[in-house]
Amino acid sequence: MEATEEERLLLTQRLKAAVHYTVGCLCQDVAEDKDVQFTKQTIAAISEITFRQCDNFAKDLEMFARHAKRSTVTTEDVKLLARRSNSLLKYITQKSEELASSNMEQKEKKKKKSSAAKGGKIPGEQEAAVNESEDSNMA
Amino acid sequence: VSRRKTSEPEIASSLIKKIFSHYVKMPVARDAFKIVQKCSEKYFMQLSNDLEAYIHHAGRKTVEMEDLEVLMRRQGLVTDKMPLHVLIERYFPLEYRKLLIPVAASGNSVIPSK
Repeated sequence: MEATEEERLLLTQRLKAAVHYTVGCLCQDVAEDKDVQFTKQTIAAISEITFRQCDNFAKDLEMFARHAKRSTVTTEDVKLLARRSNSLLKYITQKSEELASSNMEQKEKKKKKSSAAKGGKIPGEQEAAVNESEDSNMA
Repeated sequence: VSRRKTSEPEIASSLIKKIFSHYVKMPVARDAFKIVQKCSEKYFMQLSNDLEAYIHHAGRKTVEMEDLEVLMRRQGLVTDKMPLHVLIERYFPLEYRKLLIPVAASGNSVIPSK
């Protein structure tokens, strides 16, 4: 993807805005659940942290995939990323199993050989990021 | 490929002391050294666990140089601005450097051959 500086900046800003919005929604849920208030600065800070954390995640996932001589990031890479935190690893493994089983069900429903390979990469990554922003217990 | 020979279950405490006091550049209490030694034991445990995960991930049974590089990248020691070779040159004595970094030799051969 060849993008000029301006386009890149626009894309980055759009991404950041999307992350900020999502973090806002999640913080609202937590606020209702725990009966606390989040200042705007707090939400902005959390979204910035999430954004940069995703940067790290992306680089590490790329590295892990390349390490296994693959060019596609799989759930295995995501599990390796979450290895350091036990609870997170448990959660990710559970989620990936759910995804795998649902994929299997879909395949059985379709009964088609030519099913596009749906990697559980993006949901997994989002889960990681979401989990991160919720309890941020990563060492 | 391991960074240091640890045939015994632990590194000699005198060596840990030497290295630590070389970098810390200020007096260190005796119990602090004990803690440092405990930490280094724990560090090696974690190191082996991580390496095991990485070689398992690559579908191998042998630890290789690239696993170490992945590990150090993950630890934030190796970055795009700080390649592994630079770290080796900076922290390793010459004889180890020769073993790790390929050097062109006469007769169109490169040492080490890998």
